[in-house]
Amino acid sequence: MSDPLLKAVEDALDALERVLLGKRQQLRLALTCLLSQGHLLIEDLPGMGKTTLAHGLARVLGLEDHRVQFTSDMLPADIIGVSVFEPSNSEFRFHAGPIFCQLLLADEINRTTPKTQSALLEAMEEGQVTVDGHTYRLPKPFFVIATQNPATQYGTFPLPESQLDRFLMRISLGYPAPEVERALLMGGDTRSELQRLPRCLTPNELVDVQVRCSGIHTSSSVIDYLQRLVQFTRDSDLFSYGVSPRGALALLRCARTWAWLEGRAHLVPEDIQQVLEPVIGHRIRSAEDIGSHAGDRLVNELLAKVDVLG
Amino acid sequence: MKQISRAAVIWQLAAFAAVVIPHLSWLPFWLIGLCLATPAARLMIHGGRWSLPHWSLKLLLILLVAAGLLVTFSRETGMKATVALLVAGLALKLVEIYHRRDALVLLYVSLFVCATGFLFHQSIGMAIYALLSVVVVIAALNSIFQDPQRTDLLRPLKRSVRLVALSFPLMLVLFVLFPRIGPLWSVPMNQQSAVSGLSDTLAPGDISQLTKSDQLAFRVSFDGRVPEPAQRYWRSLVYTEFDGRTWRIPPGYERWHAEEEGLTVQGATVDYEVIYEPSNRNWLVALDQPLAAPQGMRIGPGHTLMITRGADRRLNYRLRSALEYQLQSRLSERERAVYLQLPPEGNLRSRERAGQWWEEAYGNPERFVDRVLDQFSRTFTYTLRPPALANDPIDGFLFDTQQGFCGHYAGALAFLLRSVGVPARVVGGYQGGEWNPYEQYLTVRQYDAHAWTEYWIEGRGWVRVDPTAAVSPERIVESSDRVFAGDPAFLSDAPLARLRFARSGWLVDVRRQLEALNFNWHRWVLNYQGQQMQFLGRLMGNVSMEKMIVALLVPFALVMSVMAWTQLRGRRSSAKSPLERKLSTLLEKLERLGLPRLPNETLQAYSLRVGKACPVLRDPMSRLASCDEAVRYAEDDAQKSDLLAVIHECHRVLRSVQAIDFEERA
Repeated sequence: MSDPLLKAVEDALDALERVLLGKRQQLRLALTCLLSQGHLLIEDLPGMGKTTLAHGLARVLGLEDHRVQFTSDMLPADIIGVSVFEPSNSEFRFHAGPIFCQLLLADEINRTTPKTQSALLEAMEEGQVTVDGHTYRLPKPFFVIATQNPATQYGTFPLPESQLDRFLMRISLGYPAPEVERALLMGGDTRSELQRLPRCLTPNELVDVQVRCSGIHTSSSVIDYLQRLVQFTRDSDLFSYGVSPRGALALLRCARTWAWLEGRAHLVPEDIQQVLEPVIGHRIRSAEDIGSHAGDRLVNELLAKVDVLG
Repeated sequence: MKQISRAAVIWQLAAFAAVVIPHLSWLPFWLIGLCLATPAARLMIHGGRWSLPHWSLKLLLILLVAAGLLVTFSRETGMKATVALLVAGLALKLVEIYHRRDALVLLYVSLFVCATGFLFHQSIGMAIYALLSVVVVIAALNSIFQDPQRTDLLRPLKRSVRLVALSFPLMLVLFVLFPRIGPLWSVPMNQQSAVSGLSDTLAPGDISQLTKSDQLAFRVSFDGRVPEPAQRYWRSLVYTEFDGRTWRIPPGYERWHAEEEGLTVQGATVDYEVIYEPSNRNWLVALDQPLAAPQGMRIGPGHTLMITRGADRRLNYRLRSALEYQLQSRLSERERAVYLQLPPEGNLRSRERAGQWWEEAYGNPERFVDRVLDQFSRTFTYTLRPPALANDPIDGFLFDTQQGFCGHYAGALAFLLRSVGVPARVVGGYQGGEWNPYEQYLTVRQYDAHAWTEYWIEGRGWVRVDPTAAVSPERIVESSDRVFAGDPAFLSDAPLARLRFARSGWLVDVRRQLEALNFNWHRWVLNYQGQQMQFLGRLMGNVSMEKMIVALLVPFALVMSVMAWTQLRGRRSSAKSPLERKLSTLLEKLERLGLPRLPNETLQAYSLRVGKACPVLRDPMSRLASCDEAVRYAEDDAQKSDLLAVIHECHRVLRSVQAIDFEERA
C-alpha cells in the first residue's frame, strides 16, 4: 500500500477485527460509512456486539465519543442539553448535552419515543442544534452511530422514514460463525481489549480520506449501472416506492469510499454491489408488505434483475 | 409554429442551388438574378436584419415574375416555360418561409425541379448530379426535423446519404420492373434547332460542313457478323432532283411509294440494332440495303428507312440488311424520268465530255463509270476545303478546280451518268464509324457523313458506286477521323475534340471506355423502355401480370423487412461500440456453451467462474476482465487495443474448446 492513509485505515480494520472476530465485511462497511461522512445504523438483536463495534470505531478513529442509552421516557433535552437559569448572574446558561461530541453512540435508538428520535434530526443533517432560539454548532466531524433492535421486538418505536433516511448505512452483524464463536468463548475479555485499541487516524486525516474518496474516478458506465439500479426500484412492482435521489447520491458516495478502501483509483460495479444492501436496504419498502424491513431480500432481487453491463 | 434553425436554412439554400444549377444555361438573365437575390434576402431575413416581406411586396413580386415569364416565353410554350415557372416559384417561396410547412413545400417542389433537369440533359453526369441533388434535398428535409436544441450542419447529410443508399436497391427494382406507361400527354420540346445532320438539299460543300461536328449521329451494335469498313454504307436519304447546282429531294418525294422496288437478297444478311440520336427528320439510317422496316417505320422511296413521325427523341430499332442484293430490277417510265431529270442547260463542257466518254465506253454504263473513276483517281484531289465554284459548278469542278469532297464527286458522277441517259441518283448518309472494342459497337458521328452515287442498269437494278473511294480509298477503309486528322478544317467547331483523336495510347483507351459506358447508359438506362420486355422475358420466362406484381412486391417487402430488422436491432444495440459488440458475441458464445453470465455478475466475477469451468480460458478471461475494467471504468482508452486483442484471443481459445469441456468441469 503506497498510500499511508490507506495503510492507517487498514490498520484500524485489523485492530477492530481483534475485538469483533470474523466480522471483517461488516467492519469494512461501518468504516466505509464513517469515511463517507455518514451516520451509521446498526440493527441487530441485543448482545451481538453492536455497542462494541461503535466503541471500537470511536477509538480507532480517534474520536471523542459519548454514549446515550435511549429509553422510552427520555426527552430531547436529555440529549441536546438544556438552558438553566443561573441566579448568580441572572441569566440562562446552556448546558450542552451528550450530543456535543464527535461521535454519538445512540444505543437502542428505537426504544425511545419519536419525539426524542426527531431531536436528532437536525443534528444529524445540519451538524447543529437549536435550543431556545440559539443555534449551537456541533464539533466536526460529527457522527452518529445508532443501534437498534429489530422492529419485531417488544417496546420499540420504529424509526420514521425521514429519520431512517438520515442514516447513510444500515448494517447488521449477525451471529458469529461457530469457530469464531469458539475463539470468542475461549479468548480473553473483549472489554479490556477494547481499551487497548490503538488510535489509527486523526480527525484531520479523516477529512483527508474523505477528500480522496470523492476524487475516485467515476465512469459513465458505472453511473449508468447505478441509474439502472435506482430506476428499477422506481419502476418495478416489487417496491412500494423507489430510492430517492438522496439515496442514489448516498450509494455513489459509499461506493467511492469502498473503491478507495480497495486501493483502486476508479469505481467499478462491484463497489456498488458491495454497499448496495447497507445503503438502500433501509430506504426501500416491499410493495407486498409495507411494514416490514425486508430490505435484503429486495436488494437481492434488484441485483439479480439489473444487468451490470446494460 | 416550429422554429427553423440556421442549419436548416443553409440546407434549404443548398437544395435550391443544387436543383437550379442545371437550368442556369438557358434560364433568362432576370430569372437568374431572382435566383441570386432571394437566397440573399432569405439570409437577411433569417439574420433578423430584414423583416418578412409585406403582402403587397409579395404581390408585386408575383406580378413582376408573371409578366417576365409571359414576355420571355411568349413565343414558345412548353417545357422551358413550365420549368422557368417552377424555378421562379421556388425562388419566391424562399422569402416567405414562416413555418416548417413552407419549408416542406419548398423542398418537395425542389425534388420536382430536380427531376426536370432530365428534360434537358440525360447524360450519366446529369444522373449523378441529380442523385447528389436528391441527397442535398433530403438532407435539407432532414435538417428541418432536427431537434432545435441540437442542430448540426453535417448530421442531416450523413442521414441523407444513408437514406438514399438504403433506397437504392428499391430504386433499381422499380427501374427494372415498373411497367413503362406511354406519356398520357406530351409537351412540345423546343430543341429542334440545335441538331445538325444531313439536310434535304445537297449543295457542293454541304457535307464538309458536317465534318466540323463531332456530334453523335447514331450507334450500332451487331448481332453476329460485323460488316467490313468498306461495306458500312449507312443510307439515309436519296437526292433525285438537280437544278444545276444543288441536289435535292423533290417536294412530295417522301410520300412516294416506289412502284416496284423489289429487293432480292443475294448473299449474307446482317442483323443489328441502331440507337439513333434525335434528329427531327423523317429519315433514319439503315445499312445498305434494309430488308424490312420495323414497326412505326417504313421503307420509303429510294429504299431509305423513314419514320412516320419525326425523330424528336432517341430511337432504338432493330434491322436486318443484305450486303449483296439486287434492288429494283425494273424501272417505270415515271421513275426513269425522275432519275434522268437534268436542267435543260448549263454545264455544257461536262455534258460534252460525258458524251465523249460514253462513246469511248461503247454505251456500257459500267465501263463509263470506270472511265470517270479513272479520271477522278488520276488528277483529282480529295479535300475538306475545296475552292468555291461559280456558275456551272460541275464544269468548274471537273475541269478547273478538280478538288472536292464526297458531295462533289457523287453529284458530278450522277450528273455525268444522267447526261448520257443512265438513271442515277445521289445517296446521302454516313460511311464507316468507329468500332468500340470494349462494348462491341459502332459509333457514327456527324463527321462520318457521306454521299455516294447509285446508277441503274437494266436487269441488275441499282448499283452503288462511291467515287470518293476512287479518289481517296483510305476514306472508305479507315474512319474519317484518321483521314482528316491533319486537316485544320476537320472538327474546327469542336477544338477540344481533336484531343480525343490521339493515334494510340491510353487516351484512346480511356475515350473508348468512356464511350462504351455512354453506349450502355443509352442502351440500358435511357432506352430501357424498349428493352424492358425483352430483358424481363430473359429474366423470368414469359412475362405475366402476376409475375410482375410478385416481382415488384417481393423485393419491396424484402427491403422493408431488412430495414425494420436493422431498426429493431439498432434500438437494441445502437449505443454499442464495435468493441462492445465483439464482447457481446463472445459472451453469447459462452452462453451457448452453457456458461451464461448472470445479470449481476461483473466481468471480473464471471471470468473467475469461467476460469474455474474451463482452465484454458482462465488466463485470457481474467486478462479480459481487467482490460475491460480499465477501458470501461477507469476509461483508459490506451487499453482499447489490448482489450480487442484479448477478446480475439478468447475467441480463438474458445474455438479450440469443446462444449464437453464445459459440461465436465462446470
